[in-house]
Amino acid sequence: MIKRWQAVAAATLVTAAVALFVVVRSTAAEPVNLTITGTRYAATVLIADPAPGQVTVEIKVSKGDADTVALSAVMAEMGHSTPEISATKREPGRFVAVGELFPMSGVWELSIRLDGPAGEEQLAVKTLITR
Amino acid sequence: MIRVLCLAAALVLAMAAPAAAHSVTAGADLRIAQTIAGAEVTVVVKGTTRVPGPLRIGVIAYQPVSGLPIGLEVRSVEDGHTVTGTVQAAANPQYTQLQVERTGPHELKLSAGNETAVIPFRVLVARGSAGDFLIYGGLFVAALLLVGGLLSGAPARPGRAMAMAAGAAAGVTVAAMVIVFESQIPAPPPEGAAPTPTTSTAGGRPYVQARMETLPARPEAGEEFTLRVDLIDGSTGRSVDDLTAHHEALAHVVVTSEDGRYFRHVHPLRTAPGHLEVRLTADRPGRYLAHAEIEREDSGGQLVAADFTVGGTAKASRKADTVSRSGQTGEPATPAGPTGTPRLQPAVPVAGRPTTIELGTPAGVRTWLGMTGHLLIRSQDGRFFGHVHEMGAPRSRVRFTFSFPEPGRYLAWVQYATADRIVTAPFTVNVTASEAQ
Repeated sequence: MIKRWQAVAAATLVTAAVALFVVVRSTAAEPVNLTITGTRYAATVLIADPAPGQVTVEIKVSKGDADTVALSAVMAEMGHSTPEISATKREPGRFVAVGELFPMSGVWELSIRLDGPAGEEQLAVKTLITR
Repeated sequence: MIRVLCLAAALVLAMAAPAAAHSVTAGADLRIAQTIAGAEVTVVVKGTTRVPGPLRIGVIAYQPVSGLPIGLEVRSVEDGHTVTGTVQAAANPQYTQLQVERTGPHELKLSAGNETAVIPFRVLVARGSAGDFLIYGGLFVAALLLVGGLLSGAPARPGRAMAMAAGAAAGVTVAAMVIVFESQIPAPPPEGAAPTPTTSTAGGRPYVQARMETLPARPEAGEEFTLRVDLIDGSTGRSVDDLTAHHEALAHVVVTSEDGRYFRHVHPLRTAPGHLEVRLTADRPGRYLAHAEIEREDSGGQLVAADFTVGGTAKASRKADTVSRSGQTGEPATPAGPTGTPRLQPAVPVAGRPTTIELGTPAGVRTWLGMTGHLLIRSQDGRFFGHVHEMGAPRSRVRFTFSFPEPGRYLAWVQYATADRIVTAPFTVNVTASEAQ
């Protein structure tokens, strides 16, 4: 009899664990992968570990021939803005910037300033930075 | 045992029905008032339940317009995919259907005459909730085991019956637990939603500084000019581009002449991030005041004000401007619209105490800017500006309650929309000091 109740309890526990996993997974933070298309350029922003402090941001330019890419960020909620960081061109259409873009957790608007023969354009994406 | 479980499953199923009503509905309608090509319209974007899916856009006209075609262009900011169409502004508009391919940030470009507005918006589609999945999944498993158990003759075999019952009990337990605790589990954001802070510590966003100017810098009476509003964040110095549709508009701009004989309540077009523009014509030279009401995301409303001067000589009034008519202050309501003069209670308002202002309206008043009626108030010197709403449903009158802050003379305008136009009833109010002051 005890065994049967143990089986019931085990089944319930397993199901509850699965339920918890489903709920928690739906609210967990993930790496940033955002694409934005402007009139001159289209860029994809990749941040593997979006956390406050030093971050590495990769920008892939899929439309337009960008020569320079610079990043800055604004937290509209608090009125914070961060200095502009120049991204290094690793290969045509691929830029990497390393720096302290997000001093604190929250929703940041990342401004991407692209320049090239087509002219200058500023694109912006919103991203959630969590600890 | 099986019977008890069947009964429990039936009870839980009966309880599960209302839980489904808690699910997030797909993208609500977006309504944005715009003053475009000289017409006062409200653009309605109806939400879609799926992507790729239809996005229906209509333009409601609040004045007689004969064939005002408005060009539409919906562009996904993510992949740049663009679809175009046209829509005719009308009192009861036909909706134009455009296909959207994805959720997330989009831009709606409106073109009419030689004016263009770009309205940013997000296509949202509700995500299936994990709670619903668990409730229905749990009940489904329980039902399957119970029916399967009965069919396979499990009651005659105690071991198998117990295993079936245990599985069914687990399913029912999960469903019941989720039903009980679902209200405490945050609903997942709809697909395409902007990221939201997990913990918000800020109570509203920084203030906005507005730079208002006219193009040309000194407009001439009788000639069209552009009033431009540039919004700048006080903490970052950047353009402010996070305005919410506050009372169905990104900004409510009220332009009045110093004497109050000229009055326009308009809704400027967003031409670029942080830039709003509206075209106006003033019929007389003199000093004009512009008050703009705006609201940033996650913030309260803000009022920005400026003044400008119109030169030249007075021109005869153009044809009746149906966007909003100017009128003589202090005179009774104009014959075409409101019935009677505004009734004040108390008849002589006292500063700092609530005053009720009531005005009879004709039949067929319809909601405009989300409200049945609007009362706009300006102190004689223009240093105070107020915007009051009639919150009730349309009936034979509009009623407002407002406490005039200081004694003195105020200019006031009641506005409401009828089937084919926006009626503006101007009047003045003299406010006395309270004896206690």
